[in-house]
Amino acid sequence: MEKPSVVYVRLRRRVVVQPGAVVTLGQVARLVTRSDWERQLKEMPLHRVRPEDGSMVVIDMLQIVKAVHEWLPGLTVETFGEPHVLVEIAPAAGRKPRLVMLVLAWLLLFFGSGMALMNFHADVNMPHVQYRITELITGKAERHPWLFQIPYSLGVGLGMLLFFNRLFRKRRSDDPNPLEVEMFTYQENVNHYIITEEYRKKHDEEETRDRGG
Amino acid sequence: MGDGLTDVLSHLLLAVVGLSGGFTVGSAFVALLIVLDLIPRLVQLTRAHRRSGLFESAIVFGALFWMCADLYDWRMGWPSGWLLMPAVFQGVFVGMFAAALTEVLNVIPIVSERLSLKPYLFSLLLALALGKVAGSLVDWLWFR
Repeated sequence: MEKPSVVYVRLRRRVVVQPGAVVTLGQVARLVTRSDWERQLKEMPLHRVRPEDGSMVVIDMLQIVKAVHEWLPGLTVETFGEPHVLVEIAPAAGRKPRLVMLVLAWLLLFFGSGMALMNFHADVNMPHVQYRITELITGKAERHPWLFQIPYSLGVGLGMLLFFNRLFRKRRSDDPNPLEVEMFTYQENVNHYIITEEYRKKHDEEETRDRGG
Repeated sequence: MGDGLTDVLSHLLLAVVGLSGGFTVGSAFVALLIVLDLIPRLVQLTRAHRRSGLFESAIVFGALFWMCADLYDWRMGWPSGWLLMPAVFQGVFVGMFAAALTEVLNVIPIVSERLSLKPYLFSLLLALALGKVAGSLVDWLWFR
């Protein structure tokens, strides 16, 4: 007659909520349980966003287990994946890319990478090397070895595109591009740092409360 | 006849050497930029996640345009006020590049840890930046 009372929880890595919102269990996790409980569990409030939270809050598994037990004692929580979820607090407009900054960043990379390549060419005395290679291969010296320079320029462009994995990739999901991977690793490191810091803050708060009480 | 053939072959070889040389330089250049984590930081500043194509296009167009302008001597003949634009952006780029290089080499965390200077990290960074600015100005305006 009695069904096993278990709720399976898989937390998401990162969610975005608006300031002042109430974070519910359904927002931060995927649940599998009896269907009549599922709806109520999804609506269960976990945390009300306060102004003093800043822009990031960590909700950890213990908090969720506690809330679930208060709602229905004896319900077992089985967890998968990350033991915490990073809640980012941002107004809806704050999520969009900043256009002005984007234009500035584009120009920065445009001029910067151009100068870096010119720097490199000046540093290794590229005009002389091209002159010399042309002389060695064809036996004739040319001031402007077009036949070397044009394939060289094409090669630079192709090499960059090949590195960015744009040439032989048909679908977006085929193989990630190194830049995207690097962006992901960077974000993961930032998240890891924030989570550790938030845990430390929570621990400090508890310690001062224990001492006071 | 045989002379003409070797001529064509040697020119073909020249083109192949040029293409492969360009290939190496292009991919190595991009690899360096990626290792330095410059672009992820820009992505964070602009909040343009999942738009790597935009940043890639800036790098590819910038490198290609300026390389061609350099190699083929494309003179634009614009008024000198336009110089301000590349000057500012290239200055910021070199600054970011230098900062990213020290970051990759972990100089600041190690030194501040050893000398227990952690609370003064911000003023140390400020000193680093101001020192670079002062050095650059003195070098360009005074000694040259």
